Amino acid sequence: MKKINKDEILQPNHLACPGCAAALSMRLALKALGKKTVIVIPACCWTIINGPLGQNYAGVPVFHTAFETTAAVASGIKASFMMQNKDDITVMGWAGDGGTFDIGLQALSGAAERNEDMIYVCYDNEAYMNTGIQRSSATPYGAATTTTPPPIIKDRPKKDLMELVAAHNVPYIASATVAYPKDFIKKFEKAKNTRGFKLIHIFSPCPPGHKSLESKSIEIAKLAVETGVFPLYEIENGVHKLSRKPKFTDVKEYLSLQGRFKHLTEQEIEHIRDNISKKWEKLNKKFDT
Amino acid sequence: MSKKIVMGGNDAIAYAVKQSFVDVISAYPITPQTSIIEKIADFISKGEIGTKFIKVESEHSAMAAAMGASIAGSRVFTATSSQGLLLMHEVLHWASGARLPIVMANANRAVAPPWSIWAEETDSLSQRDTGWIQFYASNSQEAYDFLFLAFRVAEKVKIPAMVCMDGFLVTHAKEPVEVFEDEISDFISIKEGRDVLDIENPKAYGALAFPKDYMPIKLEQNRAVFEALNVFNDVGNKFTSISKRRYLPVYTYGEEKADVAIVSMGSLAETAHIAVDNLNASSLKTKLVKINMFRPFPKNELKKALADVEHIIVLDRDISMGKGGIVKDEVAGSLGFDNVLGFVCGLGGYDVTEGDVEKVVKDVVDGKIKEDSYLWGEK
Repeated sequence: MKKINKDEILQPNHLACPGCAAALSMRLALKALGKKTVIVIPACCWTIINGPLGQNYAGVPVFHTAFETTAAVASGIKASFMMQNKDDITVMGWAGDGGTFDIGLQALSGAAERNEDMIYVCYDNEAYMNTGIQRSSATPYGAATTTTPPPIIKDRPKKDLMELVAAHNVPYIASATVAYPKDFIKKFEKAKNTRGFKLIHIFSPCPPGHKSLESKSIEIAKLAVETGVFPLYEIENGVHKLSRKPKFTDVKEYLSLQGRFKHLTEQEIEHIRDNISKKWEKLNKKFDT
Repeated sequence: MSKKIVMGGNDAIAYAVKQSFVDVISAYPITPQTSIIEKIADFISKGEIGTKFIKVESEHSAMAAAMGASIAGSRVFTATSSQGLLLMHEVLHWASGARLPIVMANANRAVAPPWSIWAEETDSLSQRDTGWIQFYASNSQEAYDFLFLAFRVAEKVKIPAMVCMDGFLVTHAKEPVEVFEDEISDFISIKEGRDVLDIENPKAYGALAFPKDYMPIKLEQNRAVFEALNVFNDVGNKFTSISKRRYLPVYTYGEEKADVAIVSMGSLAETAHIAVDNLNASSLKTKLVKINMFRPFPKNELKKALADVEHIIVLDRDISMGKGGIVKDEVAGSLGFDNVLGFVCGLGGYDVTEGDVEKVVKDVVDGKIKEDSYLWGEK
């Protein structure tokens, strides 16, 4: 059995909301990556979580940057480290879904195409949570946000980030979530030991944004995986590998723990079930090859 | 020993970059900047310099990657023009606020629509509030020399600097440039110590500042930008001892006790040079007051140069819609003089000749023009 490193790099008393999976994600990521890591953080919840001027709860150097610049800034940092023979330092971009799926996508695509040696992490809480829960292109079908208030729900599916980045032919892409910490850490370790561009897509429950209980974040993350909503898998040099086969329990169990889905009709829930089936149909073909 | 090479401003910039121990370059192509980055790519491909060149997917990322390399401790260069500079706008503020001494060349080009690739300074002048030091070169020699000065001044005050050159008129017009061999190395190899990403001392840069912290940080940044004036003089002295060329924030030429002063920057100042000679030959006592450094604004230097002049004529190859020439506005506003007339001219590369300038001067002196105007349709 794999043991999780007991050393903590993330400092206590950071400013995350109770039950925030983005904070726990950082804690686990840094356990895997160690202190020889620098982080680029654009506008996102982590701008706040890391503390105001004079604070740095991440425990490793952090450069706060403009919303859409994460992957480009990380490219520059890595280039500089290479020129200084500090190539053993891991450069990590750490952005939310808005900064990744939406405004930062161009810089992300550029860095992926150039195969820049960085780990790009998207901690995805499926909306602009830091600005007060507005829809992003990572918001799933049916979720209520302040800009998609029911009955005008978000009627488009979530953008497929993993496959989008896979189209850039990068060496390593993985999805992870805090409900499976060993799988999570293993993926960060693999990313650390792989040269080139790595993407890790983290599903990150958010109690204020998802209208869920603070105590239920891990359970929600687990259900996201077990219902098939959030597949855990890797794309290593173009080869798809399933990390965990879901039980495909009914999605209603997952939806019912989150107030953002409480308005959904039976028909809309059926549409979500249908989307899950279609997503897995496509994915399974990739796992088969 | 120095030698002379025939070069355009772009070639001169690339040549200076090659000699400036630049660690990282990130850039994106745009006319008329492209020959700078092509030349640098060529130096790298021939193994003449070991610089790392990040070929980014936009100007926005060019400046963002430049920031990353700079905060990690490298000397960084980039180059752009017009639409590209405008795309960078947010990141320009960030680079200055983060106190990163990035040096950038800007090929001044008119802003679309309609599309234009020709000279105009509205692009960089509309970035004057981003906290960058701004130099305006009038010829290839200045472009070459300003690049070295820009690195030294920027790194001393920890504020980024741009060297601006009018598209084609300065970037591409070829003229002899006196270049250094090894004698510049001692001057340009000095890299000031500064705060950079350090895994032994993990700090966060740019974190949220509450109002009580934000304002003092911004005032300190403003002080540093102002400080660049003194540093330019100081570094300029050292540069003179190597090059025998003296650069000040403001350059004056012509009749010292002139009745008329023509204030300008960039390529217009080259044209005005000839006009000043012609006007003085016709007994109209005239001088050129050329702004080399527009930010920080050389108020005292301008005040001194313009103190006893009867007519101050500012030529602007730029326009602030609904206001007029930007340089005129800054000169008049800053000095509080009421004898300043502004002429917007040469937009989108429209030709401005020494004859045009001479006519304007004569019309002002003769009392034919009494308010801000435009140079247009003279030909």
